[in-house]
Amino acid sequence: MKPAEKILWVVAVVGFLIGLVGLVQRITGGHTVAAYNTYVPWGLWVAAYAMLIGVSVGAYLIVALAYGFRLKALQPLGRVALLTALSALAGGLLAIWLDLGHPARFFKLFFSTNVTSVMGVMAWLYVIYGVLLLVLIYLTQREVETGVVRTLSLLGLILVVIFGGAEGSLFGVVGAQALWESGLTPILFLVEGALSGAALVLFLAVLLGRLEADAGQLLRWLVLGLLLGLVVLEWAEFSTALYAGIPARSESLRVILFGPFWWVFWFVHVGLGLLIPLLLLIFAGRSRAGLATAGGLIALAAISTKLNLVIPALVVPEFEGLKTAFTGLGLTFDYFPTLTEWLLMVWVVSLAALIFLAGYRLLKPLASHGG
Amino acid sequence: MSLDRGSEAGPLASEESRRSFLGKFASVVFAGLVAPAVLGDTEPVRAGPAAQAEGLVPVVELPEPVEGEHPVQRMMEDLQRALQKPVEQRKWAMVIDLRKCTGCNGCNVACITENKLPPGVTYRPVMTETHGTYPNVARRFVPRPCMQCEDPPCVPVCPVHATWKRADGIVVIDYDQCIGCRYCITACPYSARSFDSGYFYGDFEGGERQPYELLPSPEYGENRTRADGGSPIGNARKCHFCLHRIERGELPACTLSCMGRATYFGDMNDPKSLVSELIGQPNVMRLKEDMGTDPKVFYLV
Repeated sequence: MKPAEKILWVVAVVGFLIGLVGLVQRITGGHTVAAYNTYVPWGLWVAAYAMLIGVSVGAYLIVALAYGFRLKALQPLGRVALLTALSALAGGLLAIWLDLGHPARFFKLFFSTNVTSVMGVMAWLYVIYGVLLLVLIYLTQREVETGVVRTLSLLGLILVVIFGGAEGSLFGVVGAQALWESGLTPILFLVEGALSGAALVLFLAVLLGRLEADAGQLLRWLVLGLLLGLVVLEWAEFSTALYAGIPARSESLRVILFGPFWWVFWFVHVGLGLLIPLLLLIFAGRSRAGLATAGGLIALAAISTKLNLVIPALVVPEFEGLKTAFTGLGLTFDYFPTLTEWLLMVWVVSLAALIFLAGYRLLKPLASHGG
Repeated sequence: MSLDRGSEAGPLASEESRRSFLGKFASVVFAGLVAPAVLGDTEPVRAGPAAQAEGLVPVVELPEPVEGEHPVQRMMEDLQRALQKPVEQRKWAMVIDLRKCTGCNGCNVACITENKLPPGVTYRPVMTETHGTYPNVARRFVPRPCMQCEDPPCVPVCPVHATWKRADGIVVIDYDQCIGCRYCITACPYSARSFDSGYFYGDFEGGERQPYELLPSPEYGENRTRADGGSPIGNARKCHFCLHRIERGELPACTLSCMGRATYFGDMNDPKSLVSELIGQPNVMRLKEDMGTDPKVFYLV
């Protein structure tokens, strides 16, 4: 085991153990341990779910490029990308499962599916996607004929584009939330997801010593392109909405840019998630350390875009008078995650990391498919 | 100048002089209030003939707020007439006269009491709106129940068919079906849905749950108690026009408790009902009509 892999194990185990406190509190205290409430019904766990599903989408993009489009340079990363996609999916679903008011009733999503609900449809898409990932891992481990893997990988790419976009539609179709309701939301989700997933694969590939020079350069330009694409999309979103100045929408954007948590946008998202990686990819893109740092920062900052989507939309009241109409516990438009919410998120992400690391240990390096 | 004096004499002296002034002022006001009664300088309150005949304590007869039959009596008759019809022929609606609402929150309290609502759950907050700047300031109070939309955005987003619009137009929730995803809460343009996180008032009053919190809620005629930690804890909750009361021929708690007679309830499919009459007035508006939700709560302005 390489030193970097050992460090990853230690970090994941420590995070898992610390995060267990949050899990215990969630189980014993129900939803009273969280800060989300009647007026801000979604919080950190929903953001974590959206972020992890996005990472899964992005990691699958590498799988599709490696196995579906047979980019030889990326094939050594196939196992890393597949495991990243699977573990991120597991983490995302775990986060949203624990966020449910009645987690034990999750089976109703399959036995009473409402097909007019994006969430209802998504439940099935996750199952199909999860099975596809497991089948792909099985087939690549059994060294099955590459044509089957290729076909499945390409079909999977279509599925990922559909459900990655649908993930954005889950927010985009909510007319009540002006910040979410936009045709651009599903596209943003796809690009953000592709970026964070590809960046995480790049980071892990360097750390685990599996990044060849040509793969490094391919991923460098892919991540750079996605990064610039995201900048263009975000500029379009922010500039048009702020110029139009329709209060419901511009107020949420004002919260993002200048609200109490302005630093999440400017420091975490723009600074750590866009600007520094952009400079690193351009000026230090030939060094492994530069690539790993850029990839790691993008993946780390990915939560900020989802936090800035979920929360600013909800903290702006539907009616100004609601802020003071009937206040008290659970009836506030102020939201900041509780320690329990943070701990539980750490636990979920650590568990996803452990799934990845265990899979990486158990699965053999692929001969015919590379990695 | 007085500030300078105050600062020279010190805070205690300043406090003393203020108390002295307030004491004198209160004495004058009190004397002004009681003097007429003591000196017999007032007319006695006229009692109604019936009260005089029975020798009851005389009271001032309140003016009838609406011409003709008393509105509560009329709404009760409207309700009975509607209940005679098949459910799909009724369309329950609420009219709130903002000119009469005093912002007393009586409706909100009645709703909480009726439905045994816990902390964090509200079906009928009363919003205060202030317009203008001093001295041209206007204030009005806007109660916000569920709008019982004709095209409710909360219904299609539910992933498990746990919420739907009944034939009579009331949007309801099946607490046993709801998984608590809270998607419907985000989808409501009126913030009219609540999440029951599981709080109890008693948890903040010495840790002992209060007896009133252990009472069953009559919502949907199910008489659920929250003490066992089951539904509706973890569910989305909402105003249902006190469906359990309507079905036994009673008006919603908010309507009956409104001391300003600002809230009216009835069947808008019945042209003879009071709500139909009020909805037909030209000064009617609805909240966020541009959303296309077609609310069935109307405001008179």
